[in-house]
Amino acid sequence: MDSASIQFVFLGLAAALLSNFSRSPIWRSIVLFMASIVFLGLLAHGPVAILPLLGFLLVGYVGLFLLERGWSRLAVWSILAVILVYAWLKKYTFLPEGAFLHHPYFTLGLSYILFRVLHLLIESGKPDERARIGVGAYLLYTLNFTTLVSGPIQRYDQFALDQFAAEPIALGPRVIGLQLERIVRGFFKVNVLAMLLHAVQEDALAQLIHPFSSPSLKVYAGFKLAIVYPFFLYANFSGYIDIVIAIARLMRVRLPENFDRPFSASSFLDFWNRWHITLSVWLKTYVYNPLLITLMRRITSIAMEPLLGVVCFFVTFFLIGIWHGRTSEFVIFGVLQGGGVAMNKLWQIGMARRLGRKSYRALAKNSVYIAFGRGLTFTWFAFTLFWFWSDWKNLDRVFHSIELRNWSAVWLAIWLTATAILALWERIRALLLSVKMAEEPLLTSRYARVVYASALGLAAIVITVLLNQPAPEIVYKAF
Amino acid sequence: MNDAKLPLRDILLLSVVGLLTICLLLASTELIARRMYTDSKTGAERCLVFNDPSTGVRGIPKCVCWEKKYENQPVEYRFNSSGYRTDIEFGPKPPGTYRIVMVGSSSAMGAEVKAEDSFAVLLPAELSKRTGRKVELYNEAIEGWGGTPRNIALRFNQVLAAQPDLILWILSPGDLGRVSELLPPADHQPRNPLSFRARTWQFIKSAFTTKSSKGVIVAIFDRSRTAFLLRHLLYGSQSLYVQSSLLSDGGDAAGQEAEADSVRQRHLKEFDGYASDIEARAKAAGVPFAASFLPNGESAALISKGEWPDGYNPFKSDEEMRSIIVSHGGIYTSILPDFRSIPSPEHGYFLVGGHPNAIGQATISTLLAKELTSGSVPGLKASNQPGTDAGKGN
Repeated sequence: MDSASIQFVFLGLAAALLSNFSRSPIWRSIVLFMASIVFLGLLAHGPVAILPLLGFLLVGYVGLFLLERGWSRLAVWSILAVILVYAWLKKYTFLPEGAFLHHPYFTLGLSYILFRVLHLLIESGKPDERARIGVGAYLLYTLNFTTLVSGPIQRYDQFALDQFAAEPIALGPRVIGLQLERIVRGFFKVNVLAMLLHAVQEDALAQLIHPFSSPSLKVYAGFKLAIVYPFFLYANFSGYIDIVIAIARLMRVRLPENFDRPFSASSFLDFWNRWHITLSVWLKTYVYNPLLITLMRRITSIAMEPLLGVVCFFVTFFLIGIWHGRTSEFVIFGVLQGGGVAMNKLWQIGMARRLGRKSYRALAKNSVYIAFGRGLTFTWFAFTLFWFWSDWKNLDRVFHSIELRNWSAVWLAIWLTATAILALWERIRALLLSVKMAEEPLLTSRYARVVYASALGLAAIVITVLLNQPAPEIVYKAF
Repeated sequence: MNDAKLPLRDILLLSVVGLLTICLLLASTELIARRMYTDSKTGAERCLVFNDPSTGVRGIPKCVCWEKKYENQPVEYRFNSSGYRTDIEFGPKPPGTYRIVMVGSSSAMGAEVKAEDSFAVLLPAELSKRTGRKVELYNEAIEGWGGTPRNIALRFNQVLAAQPDLILWILSPGDLGRVSELLPPADHQPRNPLSFRARTWQFIKSAFTTKSSKGVIVAIFDRSRTAFLLRHLLYGSQSLYVQSSLLSDGGDAAGQEAEADSVRQRHLKEFDGYASDIEARAKAAGVPFAASFLPNGESAALISKGEWPDGYNPFKSDEEMRSIIVSHGGIYTSILPDFRSIPSPEHGYFLVGGHPNAIGQATISTLLAKELTSGSVPGLKASNQPGTDAGKGN
């Protein structure tokens, strides 16, 4: 079963239906647990393959158990132990090759489980009146099938608030309708839009590296290659997130949003507030903030204060980059992410100093400035993604396929095109949303939603049947 | 947001809106597709005889017919007095002329393209330019069953009667599927004469008796013009085109699988028998015999990309044909490796229909000319090569 396939959607809907037979938290937890076990069973090849994952969960739970019972001095050690077991299971190359398990085992979603387990360990050390977490709740939270494969990374307190509520959140026809529409939208994004964009990317790559493509075709292919991947990744990941958020909501659990129109971001800092939100929030909470506080305690110079933020941003987003993979390509990806936000922050500091805070604030609200910022943000993200989807061998072929000055022209063209297209899109969107019916935008009315959900659903079924081939896998599943 | 219960009226209304949207979309797309992709009621088969076992499938002399399929422009098929699609009337060979008689099936006949765009017309001009001698080509290829090895063997005396300097057999991926078939099956109707309603009923009846319910829905949808429109649009992408071709049931891709099955082995054996007979007769008549294999769109695309999935070999058929042709003393010119130098060669094919289009025909002409003049055929060495005999009369 693929993680955004029609089978997955049916499994989710069946679980949601069963879950709503009773409002009792015990019943709903049993259904969630059973659905998660079925999902794991369908993904893993036999029970032996799941044993390492269970071992990892056990290490996490033992740490949690001890911390909750006052062994706070073990906090660092338990966190380190969890990270070490994670690195061992993911076969990070800094560990000796001979130490790894050599039989195939299940690691799908392990990165996301790691975030959840670390979150529990860190939070367990904080003084509050939270009840201890039992094995059942721990397994429900870490193995929840709606967040297992690629997130979103939900905080435990938010999960428990909905999952174990004696009176679960309301689920009326309007909410059901909205969730079904969201599932259709997500399914369309993953299985049609992402597949088509992936095809464009593959074709562009083939044209770019083909030794007999004409120079002009190669430049055009380079342009397409760079511009299409961010949209593919967005359709692929956000489509999956749409599906799981909707399924969870039908099970009366609210998952956090992971995307907020990222290509509308007017700066790279803003972009990371809108893209993979739960990951960046997690890292800001557990890396950026503690690091900034530590540095500010040690370096007390007021002049240095803004620069400390730059350093912390770099470290945080560098970690986001290298979290994505174990290879050196992801180190560069991390440097480019960290470098992007650090440069962005430096720019803000520099401009505020040069123009004065008031003038800079006025400039930042200027629509032309925003449009160019949006275009540049998209261009930088598209550039960094080359180290995300490719490897050194391919990168070498890609970057040597056209001359440096032509690549410069390609990136300039991408910036200008993205500036114009995204600004146009923002205008059109605002215009469409301004058309209202009964004080609600017509586009988001239930009638409009039914129309486009029907159209997208039909298109998804027709194209899926016609091409008879699986859509590309959820990219973030691999991390 | 208010999540009060929706009135039944609203639920019904929303269901109707959803259904209406689906129906409107389906109907409008089908209408647009029918406007964009039309086909003619008649085709090249009107100029062919399908029911004479003594001659096999043959062309009707002096027959002219028109054909319009979904992807192509209307095409005229004009048959000469010998029953072949060419404007050339066969006759004695003019002095100094190098004559090639070409046999094969639909691609060689120039199916779905204008005669002047077919490689049968382009190739002699290209060869004349490369060799510096006058080259003419008699195109004795006939589409469909007319191009099976058995049919070619049956009318091979006509080929020899044209006194060729070279016999060129153009092989296509479909040729292996019906090597020893002479005529189409009795129930084969190239263009169904039944009315739309009768045709639909006949299709539904046969679909329900042979397929699962899911298969029936897919089969019904497959027959719609919407499916054609979407395929045509989607196959514009090389990767979708190749993947769909590789995954499609019964396509040539299946026949290209590295592990040949027993049916394929049987077909190869049958092919070997006919090739042996044809080549022996050419040899006896003292005429050089050459063959070349044309790849289909997905094989061409994969060769161009330089990578293909495990268990699939786009050169497989070419290698098998070469081995058979050469084993009987023939010359084999492979044009498949040349597709490495062509970006997106699948655009040289009708994306859904599969035959080479005008671009593909021109590409094939260039590649064949290049390979035939590379020295493999003694009488066709390019004039700028050392030791050329170009220009000599024959």
